[in-house]
Amino acid sequence: MKYKYIGLLIAVLCSVTTFAQITVKGTVKDKAAVPIPGVNVFVKGTQTSASTDFDGKYSIVVPNKDAQIEFSFIGFASQTIPVGQKTTIDVTLSEDNQTLEEVVVVGYATVKKKDVTSSIASVKGKELQTMTVGNVTESLQGKVAGVQITGAGGPGAQPRVLIRGISTVNLSTDPLYVVDGIPMGTSINFLSNNEIESMDVLKDASASAIYGSRASNGVILITTKKGKAGKTKFTVDMSTGYQIMNKPYSMANAENYANILNTAYTNSGYSEYLPNAEHYRGKTTDWWGAGIDRTSSVTNASIGVSGGSEKNTYAISLNYYNSDSFYEIGGWKRLTARIANDFKFTDKFSAGVTLNPRYETWGGPGNWADFVKIDPITPIYKPADQLNGTENEYSIYARSPSYVWNPVAAVKRYDDYSDLYNLNSNAYLQYEPVKGLIIRTQGSIEFGNKIQNIFRPDFVIDAAHEKAEINSVERKATTNVDWTWQSTATYSRTFAEKHNVSLMGGLTMENYDSSDVWGYGEGVPNNSDLMREVSAATKNRNSSGTSWSSSLMSYISRFSYNYDSKYYLTASFRRDGSSKFMANNKWANFPAASASWRISNEDFMADANSVVNNLTFRAGWGRVGNQNLPAAVYQSNIGQGYYVIDGNVVDTSYPSSMANQDIRWEVVEDVNFGLDFGLWKNKISGSLEYYQKTTKDMLFLKQFPTYSGFPANATIWTNVGSMRSNGIDLLLSYKDKKGDFSYGADLTFTTVNVKMVSLSTDGEKLYGASNRTLTVQGEEPGYFYGYVADGLFQNQTELNAHTDEHGTKLQPYAQLGDIRFKDVNGDGKLDDKDRTKIGSPWADYNVGLNLNFAYKNFDLVANFYSSIGNELVNQNISDLYNGASLTNKVSGLDQMAWHGEGTSNSIPRLSKDDNNENFSKFSSFYVEDGSFLRMKNLQLGYSLYNKFGFDKLRISLSGQNLWTWTKYSGVDPEVGGGDTSKGDGVKGSGFGGWNYPVQPTILMGLNVAF
Amino acid sequence: MNKLSYLFLLTFFVMLFAGCQEDESSYPSSDDPTVVVATNEIYGAPNRKFEIKAALADDLGLKNVRIQIPELDLDKMINFSTDPLLTTYDLSYFFEVPSDRGVSESFVIKLTITDVSGNSIEQEINLRLDGEFSAPAISMITPKEGAVILLSSSNQLPVNFVVNDDSGIDYIQVKCEVLGIDEMVQLEGAPQSYTFNKTYTLPITAAEYVLTITAKDKFAIPNMGTLNINIVATNEYPAIYLCDQPKGTNLTTDAVGVPMYFHEKSGQDFEFKYYADTDNKEVYFLGQEADFAPHCFGLNASGDLVDDVTSSPIILPTKGYYKIKVNPSTLVYTVTKYTPTSKVWADVANGLWHDTESLRRPFVSVCGGGIQGATWDTWDAWVQTSLHLANNPNNPYQLVGEYTLTGTMEATFTGQWWSPSWRLIKNGIATMSPGENGNAKYPAAAGVYKVILDTELERVFITKK
Repeated sequence: MKYKYIGLLIAVLCSVTTFAQITVKGTVKDKAAVPIPGVNVFVKGTQTSASTDFDGKYSIVVPNKDAQIEFSFIGFASQTIPVGQKTTIDVTLSEDNQTLEEVVVVGYATVKKKDVTSSIASVKGKELQTMTVGNVTESLQGKVAGVQITGAGGPGAQPRVLIRGISTVNLSTDPLYVVDGIPMGTSINFLSNNEIESMDVLKDASASAIYGSRASNGVILITTKKGKAGKTKFTVDMSTGYQIMNKPYSMANAENYANILNTAYTNSGYSEYLPNAEHYRGKTTDWWGAGIDRTSSVTNASIGVSGGSEKNTYAISLNYYNSDSFYEIGGWKRLTARIANDFKFTDKFSAGVTLNPRYETWGGPGNWADFVKIDPITPIYKPADQLNGTENEYSIYARSPSYVWNPVAAVKRYDDYSDLYNLNSNAYLQYEPVKGLIIRTQGSIEFGNKIQNIFRPDFVIDAAHEKAEINSVERKATTNVDWTWQSTATYSRTFAEKHNVSLMGGLTMENYDSSDVWGYGEGVPNNSDLMREVSAATKNRNSSGTSWSSSLMSYISRFSYNYDSKYYLTASFRRDGSSKFMANNKWANFPAASASWRISNEDFMADANSVVNNLTFRAGWGRVGNQNLPAAVYQSNIGQGYYVIDGNVVDTSYPSSMANQDIRWEVVEDVNFGLDFGLWKNKISGSLEYYQKTTKDMLFLKQFPTYSGFPANATIWTNVGSMRSNGIDLLLSYKDKKGDFSYGADLTFTTVNVKMVSLSTDGEKLYGASNRTLTVQGEEPGYFYGYVADGLFQNQTELNAHTDEHGTKLQPYAQLGDIRFKDVNGDGKLDDKDRTKIGSPWADYNVGLNLNFAYKNFDLVANFYSSIGNELVNQNISDLYNGASLTNKVSGLDQMAWHGEGTSNSIPRLSKDDNNENFSKFSSFYVEDGSFLRMKNLQLGYSLYNKFGFDKLRISLSGQNLWTWTKYSGVDPEVGGGDTSKGDGVKGSGFGGWNYPVQPTILMGLNVAF
Repeated sequence: MNKLSYLFLLTFFVMLFAGCQEDESSYPSSDDPTVVVATNEIYGAPNRKFEIKAALADDLGLKNVRIQIPELDLDKMINFSTDPLLTTYDLSYFFEVPSDRGVSESFVIKLTITDVSGNSIEQEINLRLDGEFSAPAISMITPKEGAVILLSSSNQLPVNFVVNDDSGIDYIQVKCEVLGIDEMVQLEGAPQSYTFNKTYTLPITAAEYVLTITAKDKFAIPNMGTLNINIVATNEYPAIYLCDQPKGTNLTTDAVGVPMYFHEKSGQDFEFKYYADTDNKEVYFLGQEADFAPHCFGLNASGDLVDDVTSSPIILPTKGYYKIKVNPSTLVYTVTKYTPTSKVWADVANGLWHDTESLRRPFVSVCGGGIQGATWDTWDAWVQTSLHLANNPNNPYQLVGEYTLTGTMEATFTGQWWSPSWRLIKNGIATMSPGENGNAKYPAAAGVYKVILDTELERVFITKK
């Protein structure tokens, strides 16, 4: 019996113990009610933890009702919930963009954001998806400090992306894009923004040096969406709407045009050009209305399926983008699919494969300016009495005396379209033989085929000036096969609990092969669609074809160390061997090092942790390169040309370019200092960075001196000169929540100062943009260089006073109302030496402001972008205000232009001759303040969760580029670089003209998940 | 606060204040600048420049000089460099009097000279617009420019000219160094007109001479006029011209083609192609281009060719094209009528060349300068209907029209887009494209002219209407 009592006591004690513990169960889901597997469930103050299963369910035993359970998962804000009387606790985790636990892609690896030691900015895919754009970088505008993006209008146009300004004058300034670890060149037009999970911008050399010879313009790493373990999830994302094309100028009607030209003619002493101007009243030809659609449609749509198990995850998406041109024909369509599969065979062995087929088609006229410039008197079609019935369909249009070809006819003739077929496949194998050691090999191969078809019909609109007596047809096919293969081994380990070490080494190989073939012919029997084949040509058949290739092989390594998450050190080294360089310089080394001090983790900061939850100081140095020069500059070339020898024109060959055996990379070295901070639980966070970049061994295409015996146009690439830039990037974020109302703001601020340190010779002057920009030592590259327009001559006294010290007129042909050009050097002559710096295309500051608000089911996003302090050249001034040409002018120009003292001090008098060269002299008259503030996006959304059988249903209404504030009077203040084929990519920046504008767009959006 | 602190603060603020001052009056005081003008009275005239001359000086440094004539809209400031300081400056400033001012007007030119210390002085100069600046006008009677002296008939060179000047003639001078002529005539009483008439004897060897005639007037600021006359003394004629104008006609008033330059030359055998636009057309041969004298070849009473300004014309009996040969040495000539075989361009003029009827329009026009409405742009030639040449209904080889000339002219007659085209080179020759290079410039008085492009003769005639 005694034993019975003892047994009973033990049983009671056990049951008491058992009764004190509580088992809590529940499900963890995200905001869209999708279960989250793998969530860390942790009883605070104990060692007890669990994680959610595939369906998001968990079960955990807590010691008592006072216990608190913390739920945490990467990418979501952690939640702590007291148990109390509850035995079932269901949790909905919110995504958290700012958490320091999220990972950042750093090139051949990912690290936690808090462990980053260099300058890397990350943007989530969903932030990019708020806009409907053809090129995702347009959506990036204003969202990353240090990145300047200049929008480009037109279907398929590529914005200019500058990461921390420019570091080259003669080569491409585009960054390197790396998609899922594979370098993809300098354009990402092929990607839909719906395919992107995240973008990481490597801004400084300590981050980008791991990409070596192609990293001097910065690197943008793109991670596409992958499947997550869990139930199959379907998504449909669609936005569709209209782009609006506003006529950029109010142009003169027929009567006003006649008056304007008559004034110009009579001011120059001629008889009126169109006497009896009133005769033209009511006879204005509406060219714009005849050829330009006020709206054109744009659609972006994606269908996605993702899900998987712990062994296999998948993500499949089908993406469609269409942007019509504002002509009756043309546009850009892109259809892509992305099929990603990841397999986890065992704990040690995993693999993945991604297929990305793509089809694009594009083309469209580019003559929209002609619809503005053509005179308003010429009718669209020839009058009936000028037709005899034998004309073909392209010859019935009227010719304008303004020398502008009939734009309606040009659109009708247009037939120049390209199709692109592409398949990119990317696969990896990963093996972890021992804990901490990961061996990974990844390969990709891309096949592409681009076909361009052109047909130019024959027509006679005017026998002398506007005709093509014979039609022509051509087809060009370009094929590329590119492959990459990269293998890395990474070993990570923690020693003595506080020493965290990671070492990576690897080898990469890349090869790019392309070829093209071109066929041409004339005299196709007729212009019908069916006959538009090269084989149908009966005359002047011609063909050509060539091939080119380049390759790159590299050794890469990275060492990372941190002590107790306080002191960090990262060093990387890359050795590149490029086919573009000869043996002397085939290989180059790109080292980098960076360190950071996480001050907030120091013990002495413990008391301040309630306010300062993150404070990190970073410093980095690195060396990167730019090898974006033509593939075969090490070759000497023979050119063909005609020379007069003994009075006869002779077809000759001559040395057109000479090999430079010692050609090597442009080298950019940069240093970077940064301070990251987070205050009040990241309610306020941000980073402030300062950088300085120095480019050495800049690549220039130089002419030979005449004594060398080479012809004047023979050239050689050579490494000379140096430039330096520095600046500050600032990101400031604020977010908060009051009840159902949450709001946040991100402010990005960028400054870039760039100067040429040296050129190839002392005092060298590099001209650009047809001698309208100058690049010299000690100044920023490509500044506007011309005469200073000092107002207009208002009266005879001003005109008489504009002389040298002996009374000789500085502008002998000037009359009242003409531009007064400044004798800048005061030598009493107005000549070339009076040209000076009259503006800069480079902004002093770029500012982005991104606001987001949410109230219950409503959300509102507003993005603003601003460029401050840059000038632009408004080249259209010559077309719009110059009475010397017969093109149409702005409405009311006869009253806007100077026509008496005080009537204008900016628009010169109308003149047929322009003897004073008001328009032909490049002067500050053309230079305008190019600053602007643009509301990039305004989107209002409404979301429903778990309704109508959907996990999530969101509809949105958005407007892009709806509002722009600027003093610039040209078409659009977003003006990029010049003609890269003329070396004006940098030196010709800021020349605005009839560039296709960035258009306001109104869109409806629908996002469904189930 | 102790004294030292006050002293420090005081010094600090004094330095701060001093540092904020501009350097404007940092120069020490100095004497007034000085000015010495070249003349207190300047003569000017409407539409003419005059010069303001003065010597400026300052013991420390000149800052600027301001020149003002408010009535003539002149207010010019000349600033001087101050690094280094300029202590003397020779002012020489030209200004043109507007053309709408009267010769009886006068003005005051105000000079204000300021030195770097801020001292200013003013100086006034009178400006009169009744100045006389025209050089004496020399009117040649004989020889005319380009005159040909045929030594075989005479080696006498009569020189006859009249000089006129409003302010009176001081002297005239006739000079030809090669001939040893240096004749100066000092005139008493400064007459407003003087006639010179004297004959010189030339050596009998062929040569080219330049006769320089100079005349100077008696104005306060004297004006001098000079005229160079080129003379050819020869035993052979370098050129012979065909003239279909009546004797006494001024041969310098037409722009091009009158008299007509020969077509072919072999020794002294000259050949012309000529179109007689009427029956009984009267023509002469001239030994010089500008005048009927001294060598005019016509018929004497016996019907023989003679070199005599009183001779009678040669008569071409019927309308049509002729080949005319003449030898001025042997005084033999032949006249042969012929039928042209060159391409008829009338269709071009009418636009009939175009296959498409709707595109046919007259289009032979002109590009050039000195012709109202014409430029070197063929589009202007195409659209300016006033420049179009029409076919002469009486002669399919001639395209005719009327142009207004505005001064020295040059021209290329052209179809659309330069095809075909006839470039007008020297001596009225207009060969069809490709032809010869170099458009010739022809001086012409402004006015309306008749234009004939003869595609058979490849000559252009532009005659005053």
